[in-house]
Amino acid sequence: MRQSLKPLLRDYSMLLALAAIWAFFGIEHPVFLSSRNLSLLLIELSITASLALGMLLVLLPAQIDLSAGSGVGLCGAIAAVLVYTHGVPAPLALLAGTGVAVLVWSAMGALIVRQRIPAFIITLGGLLVFKGLHWLTIKGQTVPVTEGGRVNAFSLLTTFYLPPALGYVLAGFVVAALALSQARARARRQSFGFRVPEPSHAFLTWFVSAQLIFLLVIVANQYRGVPLPALILGALALSVHVLTAHTPFGRYLYAIGSNEEAALISGVPIQRTVIAAFAVMGFVVALTGFMQTAYAGASTSTVGSLMELDAVAACVIGGTSLRGGRGSVAGVLFGALIMASLLNGMTLMAVTPEIKFIARGVVLALAVWVDVKLNAE
Amino acid sequence: MTAVLATRDLVKRFPGVTALGGVSFELEPGEVHSLCGENGAGKSTLIKLLSGIHAHGSYEGTLLASGNEVEFHSTRDAEAAGIAVVYQELALVPEMTVAENLCLGHLPTRRGLIDWSEVYAHAERVLKAAKIELDPTVEVRRLGVAERQLVEIAKALGKAPRVLILDEPTAALSDDEVQRLLDVVRELKGRGIAAIYISHKLDEVFAISDRITVLRDGKSIVTLRAADTNPSEVIAHMVGRPITDLFPRRVSTPGEVLMEVKGLSVRPRTSAPERLQDISFQVRRGEVLGIGGLMGAGRSELLLHLFGAWGERAAGQVTFQGSAFDVKSPHEALARGLALVSEDRKRYGLFLHSPIGFNLSLSSLPKLRRRGRIDQGEEVARSRALFDSLRVKAPGLETMVGTLSGGNQQKVVIGKALMTEPKVLFLDEPTRGIDVGAKLEVYEVINRLCEEGKAIVLVSSELPELLGMSDRILMLSEGRVGGTFQRGQATQEGLLAAALGRLPRSAEASVVS
Repeated sequence: MRQSLKPLLRDYSMLLALAAIWAFFGIEHPVFLSSRNLSLLLIELSITASLALGMLLVLLPAQIDLSAGSGVGLCGAIAAVLVYTHGVPAPLALLAGTGVAVLVWSAMGALIVRQRIPAFIITLGGLLVFKGLHWLTIKGQTVPVTEGGRVNAFSLLTTFYLPPALGYVLAGFVVAALALSQARARARRQSFGFRVPEPSHAFLTWFVSAQLIFLLVIVANQYRGVPLPALILGALALSVHVLTAHTPFGRYLYAIGSNEEAALISGVPIQRTVIAAFAVMGFVVALTGFMQTAYAGASTSTVGSLMELDAVAACVIGGTSLRGGRGSVAGVLFGALIMASLLNGMTLMAVTPEIKFIARGVVLALAVWVDVKLNAE
Repeated sequence: MTAVLATRDLVKRFPGVTALGGVSFELEPGEVHSLCGENGAGKSTLIKLLSGIHAHGSYEGTLLASGNEVEFHSTRDAEAAGIAVVYQELALVPEMTVAENLCLGHLPTRRGLIDWSEVYAHAERVLKAAKIELDPTVEVRRLGVAERQLVEIAKALGKAPRVLILDEPTAALSDDEVQRLLDVVRELKGRGIAAIYISHKLDEVFAISDRITVLRDGKSIVTLRAADTNPSEVIAHMVGRPITDLFPRRVSTPGEVLMEVKGLSVRPRTSAPERLQDISFQVRRGEVLGIGGLMGAGRSELLLHLFGAWGERAAGQVTFQGSAFDVKSPHEALARGLALVSEDRKRYGLFLHSPIGFNLSLSSLPKLRRRGRIDQGEEVARSRALFDSLRVKAPGLETMVGTLSGGNQQKVVIGKALMTEPKVLFLDEPTRGIDVGAKLEVYEVINRLCEEGKAIVLVSSELPELLGMSDRILMLSEGRVGGTFQRGQATQEGLLAAALGRLPRSAEASVVS
């Protein structure tokens, strides 16, 4: 919808960056490109990208959520303690954790828009409070997500893989749906008299996407199959795309971030919209928290730490403006891929935590610098 | 006697507008000289030339100080020539003390640290010289508006000027405070400091001035001795302009009352003084109600309040189609059938980096919702219909609004309001800053909407526009109703007198319908 040369330029520069990252890790440490590692990377990408998609909804109306990482730890901890210590059935525990998160995030949203306290401060407070609550919840222990190594809904989140055959069926289904929706969107645009891309160009876009999807499934199937988090991410990405591109709520997010005063006079219900964005963020934080905790196998004091910054970095790398009003699902997924690749590669190369911190910091600063630069022009 | 400050044939052009089209005026030593004119007559531009904000070279004509030609390249040059300006907008730092504000920009230092005793000594000297009684150690935020205005004057006097320019110094002051300020001006005059005084309040102008120069349409029309003239003559000079045939308003037959306001008083926030007092009017189906008044009369505030976007109601009732109307947000107002086009379209109207289509449909999304999603077919159909009927000149709905001309941007803002299918439409300065052709198109849209049975409230600073387009006119004066007029009964002189609060009460009573 918003096309000009500059975002395109940015897309390509980031594509080059991704290629460079993959080439570097692939050469330095060939295991990076093994099907096992790529499968793990897919799980890590799914977790990072999920949180980033929630962050997108908060960044669009020019807000921010610095408490997301602590929230991830807290939600995972609540569910883990309910399951492990209190013997609550896993689905119920997950539901409880989600409910708490949605309520708490709605409350933060309400504080921000009703009491006019900047989101930066409220969520910075949240970062500390949730971290404290997280540690209180697990009492400094390591709390496994399941009792005695049994399988439950919680542990399955990151250990369930789609059987290979089903993976191919799903890939075929997605590729067909993609073709159908692209053709329908094209026909609509034509009926509105809008510009549509050349047929050959449209076909090429679809063809490349189809190839990538099948490649992904082939690689995943070489290990154990498509991991469940990838399916969750797919569903979440589709939902957030529909939300941002096809609902009044999404339009309102963009409008508030572009010009809040004009949005108010245009009848945009600003308070309701921002609170709803935070409520959705609460849901996403809980979902990410469960996946991240399940991935670690247990709730420990470090789960979720600093994940909010990876989410913000993924958004900004993907073209989301910190000043609001600009950003898309596709961009965020791409930014998350860069962040996840960096973190995965560094872990593989046994980079020390000190250097990892520094590298994350440099990438974040670099991404925001590019954002500011492109905004100024 | 040589004029301390004089101008000869000043001409200042902005892209598309001539702000000053030949201003000649002389300020004699020790005199108080008032500048009078309607909004947009060129007063502010003239001040900006005299104070060096519009630098030498950006205008034509000559500036003379004590008979010598001068070139001001910056405000510093003007200050060096002894010209100090007290601006309308207060430029004080509220968190600092009076003394700090008086020394701001040239704080005395000793070995790199601020010399506080000198700061207070300087402040005492300046205040004493102007006979202003204020404690220099008090923070400015604790002072009232009038006292802050005095600090501003003291600050200007600190530069030891020979000419003091006062731009609407009393706009926010009560009667007592105005007297206090006028006393200070007289005191300065006694010390030989000349003053240029700008005010919309003719009482003050006549109370303080030696001479009065009237500006109209960027030209100096006449200079009169205050003792030899009267307010009516000044008003006549301020108006003195024929109404052109620009206005295609057709006579309409108003229908039933759609909106009624009775005894409305509004304050900006709880426990603040009332900004609007005892305002009553009706808006009928198929008619245009014009609302006029000088800058700061409360026109925009009135519209914004009714629209749910400003202030707190202190008294009065508003009904809309017969039922009580007390909306708390524009969202509610739009849902009830009231839409508003703001005077500041870039700030309150447009999303410049978004496409025309995004802008047009934003206010109507609740009506375009089908099963939770936006019905894109319906959205495009409605947007296209408005795009065509308003004749927006752009390649298409996907063109970014920021790339359009002012007139076409304004059509998009109007289109956004129209797509909500309002019953009553508020238009705040809908033709400001757009060219004549686009103005005419806006007027035609207003006519069409009236024929369709909508009610229009048109706020305008331009008296000819009010007279040309309105069926009835309500003039506001300092937050109150200064007068109401029927189409055909109103004259520019009458409207201006009402805006200045000079309409006799009996005359006002006779025209209220």
